[in-house]
Amino acid sequence: MTSTLQGITLKGSSELVADFFSFGINSILYQRGIYPPETFSRVTHYDMSLHLTTDVKLKNYMNNVVAQLKEWLMECTVQKLVLVITCLETNEVLERWQFDIQCDKSAKENCAPREKSIKAIQDEIRSVIRQITATVTFLPLLDTPCAFDLLVYIDKDNDVPEKWEESGPRIIDQSEEVRLRSFTTSIHKVNSMVAYKKND
Amino acid sequence: MDIPFDISSYLCYQEVAAETSSFKMDLDDDTAVITTLKSFNSFINRPELPQRLSESSAGSGNLQSQYKRRMELLEAAEKVQSKNRYLQLDLEKKQIEMSHKKARFELEKMASDSARDLEHQVDQNQELLGRIKRLENKETEAAKNLSEQEEANRNLRKNLEGLQKKLEERDAKLNAANQTISSLKDESRELMMKIRNQDSTISAQTLETQELQEQLDLQRRCRRTQTTKRLVLQEQDIAIVKTVKSEVAKVPDLEKEVKLLRDDNAFLRESRENCSLLKEEVEGLRRKLERMEKIKEELINMELEKERVTEKLQAWENVSQSTGFNIRKPEDLSREVIQIQQKEIALKEQNYALNSRVRSMEHSQSELRLELNQQRNKTMEEQKKRETHDALVRRLQKRVLLLTKERDGMRAILESYDSELAPTEYSPQLNKRVKEAEEVLQRVQNHNVEMEVSYMHLFHRQKIEDLEAERQRLEEQNNILEMRLERHNLQGDYDPVKTRVLHFKMNPTSVAKQQRQQEVEALEEEIKHLRELVCSLQGGGCILSRFLPVICVPDLRKQIESSELKNQRLKEVFQKKIQEFRRVCYVLTGYQIDLTTENQYRLSSVFAEHMDDSLLFKKGSNGNMQLMETEFSKTLGEMVALHLHHQKSIPVFLSAVTLELFSRQTSA
Repeated sequence: MTSTLQGITLKGSSELVADFFSFGINSILYQRGIYPPETFSRVTHYDMSLHLTTDVKLKNYMNNVVAQLKEWLMECTVQKLVLVITCLETNEVLERWQFDIQCDKSAKENCAPREKSIKAIQDEIRSVIRQITATVTFLPLLDTPCAFDLLVYIDKDNDVPEKWEESGPRIIDQSEEVRLRSFTTSIHKVNSMVAYKKND
Repeated sequence: MDIPFDISSYLCYQEVAAETSSFKMDLDDDTAVITTLKSFNSFINRPELPQRLSESSAGSGNLQSQYKRRMELLEAAEKVQSKNRYLQLDLEKKQIEMSHKKARFELEKMASDSARDLEHQVDQNQELLGRIKRLENKETEAAKNLSEQEEANRNLRKNLEGLQKKLEERDAKLNAANQTISSLKDESRELMMKIRNQDSTISAQTLETQELQEQLDLQRRCRRTQTTKRLVLQEQDIAIVKTVKSEVAKVPDLEKEVKLLRDDNAFLRESRENCSLLKEEVEGLRRKLERMEKIKEELINMELEKERVTEKLQAWENVSQSTGFNIRKPEDLSREVIQIQQKEIALKEQNYALNSRVRSMEHSQSELRLELNQQRNKTMEEQKKRETHDALVRRLQKRVLLLTKERDGMRAILESYDSELAPTEYSPQLNKRVKEAEEVLQRVQNHNVEMEVSYMHLFHRQKIEDLEAERQRLEEQNNILEMRLERHNLQGDYDPVKTRVLHFKMNPTSVAKQQRQQEVEALEEEIKHLRELVCSLQGGGCILSRFLPVICVPDLRKQIESSELKNQRLKEVFQKKIQEFRRVCYVLTGYQIDLTTENQYRLSSVFAEHMDDSLLFKKGSNGNMQLMETEFSKTLGEMVALHLHHQKSIPVFLSAVTLELFSRQTSA
């Protein structure tokens, strides 16, 4: 965690963004019921009560992904992070939570920390997570068994790490999109949006 | 015609002069000379000269008078010109002188100002130097004070060390005293041990006395018994006197023994008394010992105290000797100590004050140094400025020289031109033409400019309108494309050339899909297995119903087993019953009836001569029994004819056969 006395460095900003993704994805999984609610425990973070999974396999998977994501954030090569929810029976994509990441590449060369208070960043993150929780009210119900996947859009010239493979973008056919709030750490800017399949 | 020529030439000269004068006033323009020369040359080399020449050749008679007049006028013009020139040159000279003076004046002013500044700064420098000297003196004084204070500090520290050493000696002596105390304690302990030993001996002795007393009592008892026994013997054995004599002979021995015993008794009593005496002595000794011990301890303590006090006294006396102060009582020592402390405090205060002064001095010194530096820099700058001013002055002087030279040159040129220009006649007309041409040129140029501007305006207006329209169109297109891009971006589109989409190999969706597939495969296998079971249960033609209800298979099996068991039991029972019935029939009727083929019954009699002898009956379609031919039936032709054909009764026939066979058997 970066100290509140110093400014935001590239490493600190990457950690903040990775933390937000970790908690945000857990919240989405809990809200959409991908995993049963009793497998989640409550923790306090960003001055609010959030859900965190206790399932060992899921935790493992999340840790692996978030660790790799931190590296990519430090290199400023990651463009988007997408949470895709697929129906297991029909293999269709039902929901798509997309987070666009814009990185200020001048922070890579210039090592001076930026002036932005951690409290302001945390307030922004808090409002984003609250909005995510609120969007559940208008999203269609997921009554079939579903599974989720995390996709990462990175620069083409990056090497593919060992445990990762190429995948399609898993775009929803006939979707409605809603743009949500964004937050910025003055080095990374994260825009959130959700796309869901229209209920005919 | 001539006058205008002269005037025109004069005007030309005027123009040139004005140009040169203006040039001369403008010190920085070196190329004006060349340009005026060029313009003058161009003016002279105009191709309009031949026109003038043709006009002048017409009047030849007037030429001479004209020539004369011209010459007079020329001379006058020349005079005027020369006067003019002279005046102009005078003017120029004066102007130049004025400018020169002004320049000099300004330079002098600047020089004086810079000199004044220099003086000022020199004064300042001196002041600063004086201040620096004073500060340095103060510094040295402060350093001296510091060193003195440090020496005093060192002396005090030495004193403190001496006192500390004495304290240590005292501590050593205390330790020695402690050691003597411990040794004395050991001695006292040994004495205590001795006393205890003596106590133990005393107790042993008391025990001995007790034992002796007991012995005495015992002996007394023995004596009494012995005496009684003796009396009894004596009373009893009066007759036996002789024997008593021997015994009487023992009496002196006994008496001797008695004496001895008495002596012993007395000795023991004495010893008992001695014991009691000893006890008393022991008690007295013990008390003495105790008192002595107490006295010893007190002695030791007193000695220690005395030693301590004597040491202290000696120390205090030594202090007075060692420190050199006039001390006879402890009050003096305390007074001296207080004085020393006060001195120390005063010295410390002085030290702090000096330190603060030193620091302030250093600070002011640094500030003065900074000021010095600044002043030095300023003087350097002033010097530089002065140098630059000097250089400027020199340059100006050189320029003045150059200008005078140029002026002379120009004058020479002008004179040469004047000499050349005298015969010409067409300069005013040329001037006019020049002016007219210039005016025309200007008008044409203005016209050109206006035309260009208007043309450009028109051109630009159209262009601007076209560009505006295109811009709006492009803007709309841009907006539409941006919206499309945005939409695609929201949906998750990407540029495959620049981006790549990755996901973790072991991600939850693929894991869930795998699990689902495995479940589906397992379910399909189960379905196949169940279908096979169902087929096997139904037996033969499988009814491939896809919608078999899920029945409990083990219950069915149980039912099947139970029904099979029932069948088996029934079969057994039937068989038994049938066998019984057949036996009974055989026994009662004498015929064993076997079913050979459908509707054919073979009867074999109990009395049959051969095993193969049997009758065969067939059941007809109308239900009647008919006899079939066998070898045995051939032998019974008569009976068959009688009973079956004639009487038409099978039971009679059968019974007749039985009787016949029976009779055959019994008779044979």
